[in-house]
Amino acid sequence: MIYKTFQFKTLIYLLPALFIFLVFNVLPGLTSLVLSFFDFSGFETNLFKKFAGFDNFIKIYEDKYFWIALKNTFLFVFGAVFIQTGIALILSIFIFFGNFKFSVLIRSIIFFPCVLAPVSVGLVWKKILEQDGVLNSILGLDYSWLSSVSLVMWLIIMVNTWQWIGYSLVIYYAGLQSLNIELLEASDIDGANWSQKIFSIVIPLLWPTTILNMILNLIGGFRAFDIVYVLTRGGPAHYSEVLASYLYYYSFAAGGPNKMGVGAAVAFVIFACILTIALARIIISKRIERN
Amino acid sequence: MEGSLKNNYGATFKKSPVFFILTRVVILFFIIIIIFPLLYTLSLSVRSPDTVYSARYFLIPYEFSLQNYYDAFFYAEERLKVSFPRMFLNSIIVTTSSVILIITLSIFAAFSFSHLRFPLKESLYNVMIASVAMPAQVLLIPLFYLLIYFGIINTYTAVILAYAGFLIPIGILILRMFFEQIPGELTEAGIVDGASDFQLLMRILLPLAKPAIATCVILLFLDTWNEFIYAMIFMQDPTIHTVPVGLAKIGTSRYHINIGTYSASVMITIIPVMLIFAIFQRWFIAGMTMGALKH
Repeated sequence: MIYKTFQFKTLIYLLPALFIFLVFNVLPGLTSLVLSFFDFSGFETNLFKKFAGFDNFIKIYEDKYFWIALKNTFLFVFGAVFIQTGIALILSIFIFFGNFKFSVLIRSIIFFPCVLAPVSVGLVWKKILEQDGVLNSILGLDYSWLSSVSLVMWLIIMVNTWQWIGYSLVIYYAGLQSLNIELLEASDIDGANWSQKIFSIVIPLLWPTTILNMILNLIGGFRAFDIVYVLTRGGPAHYSEVLASYLYYYSFAAGGPNKMGVGAAVAFVIFACILTIALARIIISKRIERN
Repeated sequence: MEGSLKNNYGATFKKSPVFFILTRVVILFFIIIIIFPLLYTLSLSVRSPDTVYSARYFLIPYEFSLQNYYDAFFYAEERLKVSFPRMFLNSIIVTTSSVILIITLSIFAAFSFSHLRFPLKESLYNVMIASVAMPAQVLLIPLFYLLIYFGIINTYTAVILAYAGFLIPIGILILRMFFEQIPGELTEAGIVDGASDFQLLMRILLPLAKPAIATCVILLFLDTWNEFIYAMIFMQDPTIHTVPVGLAKIGTSRYHINIGTYSASVMITIIPVMLIFAIFQRWFIAGMTMGALKH
């Protein structure tokens, strides 16, 4: 600390950032919660004219596509948390212990999709997955992948995993580089083979990194929008809608219902999900600290 | 450092032929999975219009041509009133202004969190940390009306301010951590020499914080360059579309688009990022890892 007490003039450092944060983040965040109790559409100037009580929530509660979107969001989050983290764990261990000559290059290649716009990634895969796309040519099939109600969400999860696997990978790699090597050396002397080492030493030691990756993917999973938007627009018939795309459809989409209040209610649901996760995280980490 | 680690505990990993073959097979498989879609799109984009539906082993064109790239420029302008040079210019304007604004304000704010006293400091900091987890879509509807109210909807400023509000907390988080790691003796020496708080920040802390600032710039560059939903909704005028918005319009338009033209459009957005990544890849990986670890 530079000064022993609070100096009024030093507020000048904080205020510009604080002002923008409050006006363009906190204010709209709180307004969003309030707006979910009002009925308004895209062209109104006074948003707070028609108080709607819980109507917006009742509306989404009764809409089967909301439940599909909610289920899809959880499925997507599940895919990001378990599939993406799991594959990244295996890959990072293989690259780290595999004595590859070009391990840096391998990491860079797998990481590269992370720096691309999800829109570009979605469009690359869209052409591949289309009925006359190359996937069908390779497999010798004639299947319309993105029109399949049962498969479409898994394909979106696959494309998302394809893009972000490298992100989880480099975080794991950082964890591996800071691993305590003494245990591994001791197990060398004990004559443990490679699979025993991986399963009983490396993976348990990487547990904190695994938690970090899971939390990052959990939070990231609720953001999914771009990939869904370019790949399917929530289709076929809203069966690949996630909460964020459902919000967009209800509030902004051309040809949609243009019900902003309902969109705000969906935002409320997303907010509640993230808040629950954040609270759970605090409670769990406190319990771990106590033990 | 990596090399010495390997020699230490690679021993039993090295000895096992099963492990050796397994790692090669798995890694090769994933490398192919990662590279193939990109190479395939590149391949489609450089095929001549007559041979676009066929290639050796799906990848090697029978006839090379850059015709698709010409067509992509025309298609965007004729059909959708967006142009690639314009899209890139818009993205460059939005990205550089956002990054400069966010970095500058975050440096000053992080300094006040790390080296100055003010009431409610830690509560405010916790609010900022909590806001990092919120998805951008939660703010979408109120922000839309707020920007209309300020009369800046459909301008660069709309998106720049929205990005700033959303990303300033991350900047402050990373820079505060870094400022606090700088040894107190350095600033104390400065105070003894009679340096003002501003001089301490500019002459002592900032020069040492260059790596943290580089990390922030990379994270913010990626977040703002690739951002889609704010840019799409707050800048609906086609002349100010950013690259992802313009590309999404091309890729999902209802007009017929030749698959070669489509692929060339996608590649136009990927190739520049690929070149920048090739030059700064270590920085990108280090930056994104650091950004994650500080959550």
